Amino acid sequence: AGVLAAHKITASSPDTDLPTVSGLRKMGVNFTVSNKDTVKSSDVLFLAVKPPIIPFILEEVGPDIEARHIVVSCAAGVTISSIEKKLSTFCPTPKVIRCMTNTPVIVREGATVYATGTHADVEDGKLLEQLMASVGFCTEVEEDLIDAVTGLSGSGPAYAFTALDALADGGVKMGLPRRLAVRLGAQALLGAAKMLLESEQHPGQLKDNVCSPGGATIHALHFLESGGFRSLLINAVEASCIRTRELQHLADQEKISPAAIKKTLLDKVKLESPSLSVASASKVSLFTSKSKKN
Amino acid sequence: RRGCDPGAWPRAAMEASELWVGFVGAGRMAGGLVRGLLQAGKVPASNVLASAPSDKNLDAWRELGCRTTHCNLEVVHRSTLVFLATKPHILPGVLEEIRPAVGSHHIVVSLVAGVTIQTLQRLLPPWTKVLRIMPNLPCVVQAGAMVFSRGTNAGDEEAALLQSLLSSCGLCEEVPESYIDIHTGLSGSGVAYVYLFAEALAEGAVKMGMPGALASRIAAQTLLGAAKMLLETGEHPAKLRGDVCTPGGTTIYALHQLEKGALRATVMDAVEAATNRACDMAKD
Repeated sequence: AGVLAAHKITASSPDTDLPTVSGLRKMGVNFTVSNKDTVKSSDVLFLAVKPPIIPFILEEVGPDIEARHIVVSCAAGVTISSIEKKLSTFCPTPKVIRCMTNTPVIVREGATVYATGTHADVEDGKLLEQLMASVGFCTEVEEDLIDAVTGLSGSGPAYAFTALDALADGGVKMGLPRRLAVRLGAQALLGAAKMLLESEQHPGQLKDNVCSPGGATIHALHFLESGGFRSLLINAVEASCIRTRELQHLADQEKISPAAIKKTLLDKVKLESPSLSVASASKVSLFTSKSKKN
Repeated sequence: RRGCDPGAWPRAAMEASELWVGFVGAGRMAGGLVRGLLQAGKVPASNVLASAPSDKNLDAWRELGCRTTHCNLEVVHRSTLVFLATKPHILPGVLEEIRPAVGSHHIVVSLVAGVTIQTLQRLLPPWTKVLRIMPNLPCVVQAGAMVFSRGTNAGDEEAALLQSLLSSCGLCEEVPESYIDIHTGLSGSGVAYVYLFAEALAEGAVKMGMPGALASRIAAQTLLGAAKMLLETGEHPAKLRGDVCTPGGTTIYALHQLEKGALRATVMDAVEAATNRACDMAKD
């Protein structure tokens, strides 16, 4: 999106064999195996590790967090207060922002929400918003809504991929070649989403506009209704949200012990704090996408 | 039919201000329509003549100030606008009976379920202006939904007359005849679906501890109010539904239950079943 120059981005991971690592290197991002180096050379720090790893990362990098740092956690189910609590042993007023985004940031059509922590200022939130708005939609929310957002737009792309796979199957069943079926299905959903975002009308009205009396579409919709299509989607969002809360609950209790982390990962880490066994990032976030547009 | 002497009656006049309205058959639907017409002051009761085989139904008509008879031919002779409101299996016999008296000045409007314009025109003289109407029960309280279609000889004047008269009973729209069976499935029978829904709503409330009579009245008022908002705001029902749903609130929880039960599909199935049945019955 051209919001940030690649050389201003540092990423760290213990595992240098990941395909994401070489991808980042090619983009000109600075790469290191040291989390501490990443912290030292950053102002905005995205924590993009799996949720159970967060407490260990915070222990590791806590001493290096300074007043200028904005710590942004993208970890599902990890609360601002848990991060602030961990960091407060090292830094009196850590700036923490929690965000929930989704995979289509890769094509700059992400859906991101964020909630600011106790010591994060309005400008800090706005800075994050500016960054994330460059890769899609971004808005501030109350923290207690983030689990619901996870259920809806966090997991949402998976629901869409499932739907697209099935739609393509339908097309293939009725005679279309697979590639064309996938292409048309994806375009149909993309177009519909775009219409909805650009329209004042309710999706129910937009649906009606497609359904000519006695026509093909209304016949198809009846099938969807008979199968409980709507309730399945409601169930899915609910399930994802509830599971996120469960995981958060587990994380709060810090039930994940170092033993639960892959031994192979531990082996690869050069420990900077020998008193702790820590595994560092097993994945790295992409801050900007390979933008196809200017 | 006894004692019918055509020579004894004056021919119905078609004066500008006076419309003579006749009803062949005086059952509940006909009664609903006439109440609407009278309430709206469209036709004076003394200009209305209804026939039925027994006095059972006719008492109510006389109470309204209408004239009554046991002779179908008399109704045709003394009316310009003739509503046919018999039961379907009775109609062919009645048409045969009145056929000789039907003239080109008559407007014949059939309320009879399942009898097509084609059938009506076949059993009536070729010059007859025929229209077919499908009302629904709430015409009785002037909140009906009616659709009508015209036959070959019925023109704009007749359609406009019917529309103007029957708007007094509720919503009245002209449609292609193919919509009439759909109207049956949607609104003719549809009234029963609403009664079922109202009953279920009330039962839910009773389960949660509310007395039945109160629950029923509230259920009815809820349906009335919601329908009124739909009609008056002109908003899409999905939008109105969304307006009621506060995030994480009671309504969305309840709606989820309805969606789980595939209520929408079931209702679509019901409308489809009734429409198909109407089509099948018309063919008999």
